[in-house]
Amino acid sequence: MATAEKPFIRQDGKDKVTGLGRYTADLDMTGMLQAKFRYSDHAHARITRIDTSKARALPGVFAVITHEDVPDVRYGPFVQDRRLFAKHKVRYEGELVAAVAALTDEIAQRAVELIEVDYEPLEIVSDVEAALQPGAPLLHEDWASYGASEDVVREGNDCSRSTILKGDPEKGMAEADIVVKERYVADMSHAVPIEPHAVVAQWQGDRVTIWSSTQVPFIARSGVATTLELPEAHVRIVVPHLGGGFGGKCEFHYEAQVAALARVAQRPVRLVFSRREEFLAPDHRREGQVLELETGVRRDGSIVARRGRLILDNGAYSADAPFFPQLAAMMAAGPYKIENVFVDASLAYTNTTPSGSVRAPTAPQACWALEQHMDSVAGQLGMDPVEFRRRNIVKNGDEGPTRQVFEDIGAAETLERAVELIGYGKELPEDEAIGVAVGWWPSFGIASGAYVKINGDGSATIITGAQECGTGAVMALPLLAAEILGMEPESFSLLYQDTDAGPFDSGASGSQTTFNNGRAVMAAANDVREQLLDLAAEQLEANRDDLELKDGAVSVKGSPTKSVTIPELAEAAHGSTLLLGRGADAVPEMPASDAAGCTGRLGMESFLAPTFITHAVRCKVDRETGVVRVLEVAAVHESGRVLNPIGANGQVEGGVVMGIGMATLEGSLLGEDARQLNPHLLDYKLQTASDSPPIHIGWVDSPTKPGAGGPKGSKGIGEPPCVPTPGAIANAIAQITGARVHELPMTPARVWEAMQR
Amino acid sequence: MRYDATLNVNGRAYPVAIEPGRNLLSVLRSEVGLTGAKEGCDDSECGACMVLLDGQPVNSCSYLALQADGREIVTIEGLAGADGELHPLQQAFLDQGGVQCGFCTPGMLISAKALLDRNPSPDEDEIRLALSGNLCRCTGYSGIVRAVQAVAEQR
Repeated sequence: MATAEKPFIRQDGKDKVTGLGRYTADLDMTGMLQAKFRYSDHAHARITRIDTSKARALPGVFAVITHEDVPDVRYGPFVQDRRLFAKHKVRYEGELVAAVAALTDEIAQRAVELIEVDYEPLEIVSDVEAALQPGAPLLHEDWASYGASEDVVREGNDCSRSTILKGDPEKGMAEADIVVKERYVADMSHAVPIEPHAVVAQWQGDRVTIWSSTQVPFIARSGVATTLELPEAHVRIVVPHLGGGFGGKCEFHYEAQVAALARVAQRPVRLVFSRREEFLAPDHRREGQVLELETGVRRDGSIVARRGRLILDNGAYSADAPFFPQLAAMMAAGPYKIENVFVDASLAYTNTTPSGSVRAPTAPQACWALEQHMDSVAGQLGMDPVEFRRRNIVKNGDEGPTRQVFEDIGAAETLERAVELIGYGKELPEDEAIGVAVGWWPSFGIASGAYVKINGDGSATIITGAQECGTGAVMALPLLAAEILGMEPESFSLLYQDTDAGPFDSGASGSQTTFNNGRAVMAAANDVREQLLDLAAEQLEANRDDLELKDGAVSVKGSPTKSVTIPELAEAAHGSTLLLGRGADAVPEMPASDAAGCTGRLGMESFLAPTFITHAVRCKVDRETGVVRVLEVAAVHESGRVLNPIGANGQVEGGVVMGIGMATLEGSLLGEDARQLNPHLLDYKLQTASDSPPIHIGWVDSPTKPGAGGPKGSKGIGEPPCVPTPGAIANAIAQITGARVHELPMTPARVWEAMQR
Repeated sequence: MRYDATLNVNGRAYPVAIEPGRNLLSVLRSEVGLTGAKEGCDDSECGACMVLLDGQPVNSCSYLALQADGREIVTIEGLAGADGELHPLQQAFLDQGGVQCGFCTPGMLISAKALLDRNPSPDEDEIRLALSGNLCRCTGYSGIVRAVQAVAEQR
């Protein structure tokens, strides 16, 4: 089943273990200046004056820019509600008011502090429920005049509202034997890649090259082109090695501001974020959520109706979050058979750091709430929580929340395998228990392209628009091409993450690299394979249909001596027509659904090639302190067909540990002034090696039908592993303590408090 | 005011003139020209800047460069052999899936080397404890711990 039978060593690995590989902050150039930003002094205020004269006069300062020095363009992928620099108002503490380029970091910092900004403070809105109350101060008074995708449903501080309706939830609820209603609140958290953001920009004539720590170079290029009013052909984004992203480096961030500084200064300019800036400024933190869930069940354990009201925190501006309400609504309905569903989800503007996709956006929080709620319902029924899920989890032929009919899925199998792997039901000490949670996640079908060329000596090069963020997805692309071309993966070089070289790809986001770019690379390899066979037919004077390509040569079937090697063909081609393959495979169609009763449809009304996941965790709680230890995790995934087991296991191991962090420690605290109180790693703790438990991984092999998924029936793998971990831990805590923790993260204080109720 | 100092890095002497407030990481990355050690937090929390100072692992972001005057410093660039042959830990990190984005890798390898230099056969708990000053966001630490175990078993 696996393409990689032998150990898979990543091509960029030697660069990384020797310390010789360059990341963006490692780049240096003759005459290069250092950039610093002036951030807002308030979370919500009107700007009455900006005076940069003292900063401009400081020796060593080459450029000071504000909104006046860049085109007056509003941007945003769904709602165009922001500018490169604040103009009339500031709406969160990390908003940019000005930028400086100077000879050294120290001079740039002094210059930033010399910029005088006068404000008229405005009432702060930091609570999502208060933001949606009638009469709440509007963050964007002119919201109705902003450009926006026509499918986004907006009203005042509600930036995007989506509903899912199936059946008759009122009637269903009335027919239920038991109805359970609960409320859960998740705090905002962060992606926290270990590499902070960095950008270097250099102009040559009217073209700019930008080296950036972005996960999405083509989206960054489009952002620069839009906001600086340049043709995309004048903007080249190159990503050196990228030190992790997890969504925090998706979207378009600081490339345009640094390019604008470099243009004014007429020098290359480098921006490197501090850890504090990494917490405050990027518009891609994981959003806080308030979830009210209500489920009606019959005594036999079948669910008859579910209702949900969700409010998600958008922060001050819209990054890619407007599609979150629909996605979160699907998550709150869950991968269960339910005839009657209504979920109403809003995205509230608040005076906080903007939200955006962070590894499986909306899902870990919503799954944490839903899976606790599932255990609560099972408790009311007096039924084992695994048995309750067993009776309701979707199987082939069942309908999802929007009547998508599932085919070729293995959701129930993940549940059975996970409880088996962890030893569910075994005798445990009094302070330990096993918690189980089920989750799901879509694959994203997006256009993507690649070229494969055979070099003169028979080696090959893949030129792709895909972006490697560490997962190894790009590193594994040669496996797919090598199999088609009868070559060794080591014979391929890779040119990637350069917008002038590769065809479009949507970047290291949405678990989409193998899913979409893998198909493109296979198409390009097949294209060049046809060319090799044509050429070999000529050389061997044989019928093309009689040829086979394997082990680095084309031979006539049945006559292995009549053969020509790929290097020989490559040499011949370099005397005539070069061997160049191009691939841009058609995007799989979205599965059919009935979304007639749904509003705010932004592409999530059905799930393409959905992944299903069950995590079972064994935890221990210290009753004196409320400290939770995760002792062991069983993670079983149905991701279609797994192509690269080492890479896939690495995603699960990393995602599980990220999920443990989200469950137990990771959350931002806000002061009354809406400033983050813990924007550094001393107070925002990540899991360490000694916190991390053994992880037992299982894969349910369930390939999609050809054309309905990724290469060979695969599905997205990167994001799902962090989805059900917090919910499973929550359920273990409740089993041990008898108390349910309704706030995320479930810190020792919160666990202890829940035990006192 | 700058002061003269000599930093002995990976067996080579670098004469440098530096202000007293400069940290070792920034001097290694700028004056010495070795960018393998990374800055991830600037407050000794992430370990990406770790180097060996007279054989002991230190967070170079929080260590004054002048204090390293005349002492032996090993950065990630000093781990492989002169012929470019990888250190067994470097090879094991690749073999065991201990490298993803690679940003924590230099500091992680330095910590692992310091551990094996003082304790050639650590158990899993000792490995996890020794690496707990180095944050990794990609791997969940599993591949890294496997790599250190694999090298310890060879010894």
